[in-house]
Amino acid sequence: MAVDARMGKPFASLYSGNARSVIARGLLATRSTNWLVMVSGFFEPVLYLLSMGIGLGALVGTVAGPGGQPISYAAYIAPALLATSAMNGAVYDSTWNVFFKMNFAKLYQGMLYTSLGPLDVALGEIFLALLRGLVYATGFTIVMGLMGLITSWWALLMIPASVFIAFGFASFGMGITSFIKTFQGMDWINFVMLPMFLFSATFYPLSVYPEPIQWLIQAMPLWHGVELLRELGAGVLGWGTLLHILYYLVMILLGLMLTTSRLRKLFLR
Amino acid sequence: MPLSPEQSAAKAVRFGSWYFAEQVLRQMRVYLWSVIAYSVGSPLAYLFAMGMGLASLVNASAQNQFGGVSYQVFIAPALVASTALMSAAGEFMFPVMDGFKWRRLYFGPHASPLTPEQIAKGHIIAVFLRILLPTAIYYVIVLLFQASPSPWGWFSVLTATLAAMTFGLPLMAWTATLKNDAGQFAVVQRFIVMPLFLFSGTFFPLSQLPWFLQWIGWISPLWHATEIGRVLSFGYQEPAWLTIVHIVYLLVIAAVGWVLAQRFFAKRMNV
Repeated sequence: MAVDARMGKPFASLYSGNARSVIARGLLATRSTNWLVMVSGFFEPVLYLLSMGIGLGALVGTVAGPGGQPISYAAYIAPALLATSAMNGAVYDSTWNVFFKMNFAKLYQGMLYTSLGPLDVALGEIFLALLRGLVYATGFTIVMGLMGLITSWWALLMIPASVFIAFGFASFGMGITSFIKTFQGMDWINFVMLPMFLFSATFYPLSVYPEPIQWLIQAMPLWHGVELLRELGAGVLGWGTLLHILYYLVMILLGLMLTTSRLRKLFLR
Repeated sequence: MPLSPEQSAAKAVRFGSWYFAEQVLRQMRVYLWSVIAYSVGSPLAYLFAMGMGLASLVNASAQNQFGGVSYQVFIAPALVASTALMSAAGEFMFPVMDGFKWRRLYFGPHASPLTPEQIAKGHIIAVFLRILLPTAIYYVIVLLFQASPSPWGWFSVLTATLAAMTFGLPLMAWTATLKNDAGQFAVVQRFIVMPLFLFSGTFFPLSQLPWFLQWIGWISPLWHATEIGRVLSFGYQEPAWLTIVHIVYLLVIAAVGWVLAQRFFAKRMNV
């Protein structure tokens, strides 16, 4: 019996060890969705890279990369675009997607009536978002390679690293979505993400800003993601790299705690 | 004094599209606050990030590329127009589908003396106003950044809104033919709106792109609006005939889109 098997384990009420059935359901549902929509997520960062990298790159020339060596403008923004797309993908999947399933399809209610716990649902949904992110990140890195923007073998680590970044955002997204009740409320998520995208040293170095603003931006998650991927892309690693990783580890942990407790509060009273 | 049925029918015939426009605007009140937040927040974010941050890179290396003005002045008209265009993309897809399918908001008015053409027209009027106002707010913020030196710059609010219609009306006509939502809107966003934003000479002159990408700009309402905006807001040098071509292009496509939208509305509702 499923219920008996859960007895005695510390997280028994939260987790039944069956996130894979949530994943299996998600994959099955993917088959009936429009493939073009799935594919389109890959194109966004590539279009940005083509437009800004080629068009603007011709005007900007070279910029100082991590460690100070000059790199082409396209090589400078590419890792930042990858980090942004990891964020966007994870946030989209864990907010809009979850918002629909939570409020319209009532999918999670159904799931939680079974032996599945909130942590199964959260982990399953997050895994699906990350799988999609993995596919996009791999595609983008290949494009970078084709454009001659990869100079180091470390750059391959950008793929797992961008999944890691996506994990950070996805673990929070679902918890935050659970607070939002209306479509208009969802707009505020974009409202936070747009400035983060524009200001996180995505298109130009942080040194442009006065110091207090630099501190503020460095407190934001996307900046750490951008820097992490930029350092990996150029193969210039340091203590800073570890700090970025640590930031995301903490973010993932806190996000999972928030999401699980929210789901429990909503559904398992 | 209450109107007789004949009188109110006559009023509906004469002012019907305005009544419907009012009703659409009232529905928009639900997300008024996010419209306001967005129409102030987005220009601030873009003008700071691109106009000041990115400008620090671009002005240092490519001073003479932008028609003799600073980078911020160069991109401001493009930002104004692209925001108008993106709002149009949003307003002419989901709400139109909502009218026909999800909440069927067009069918109540259709049961009144209003014709489908009036309903389409009313929706268009409402969206025009919904875009005009935030575009004007955007322009005021551009002025605060001192990014529009010419006094003619105000007219770029109108040309940007016109471009939003040029893009939005054909989209509205197309949406009116859709029976099912299978993610087409997301595809339009990613494969049409996004490329137009990035390849319409928004952040750099179109001539910087390789020739095989420049055609995107030529067909893009955004490029035409941006070029007119540049002429208006800082006296960008281009031959007068080219400016006329921009305006005629925008007007013709908007007109065709308008006619098609009304036709498809009629076709969908008069069954």
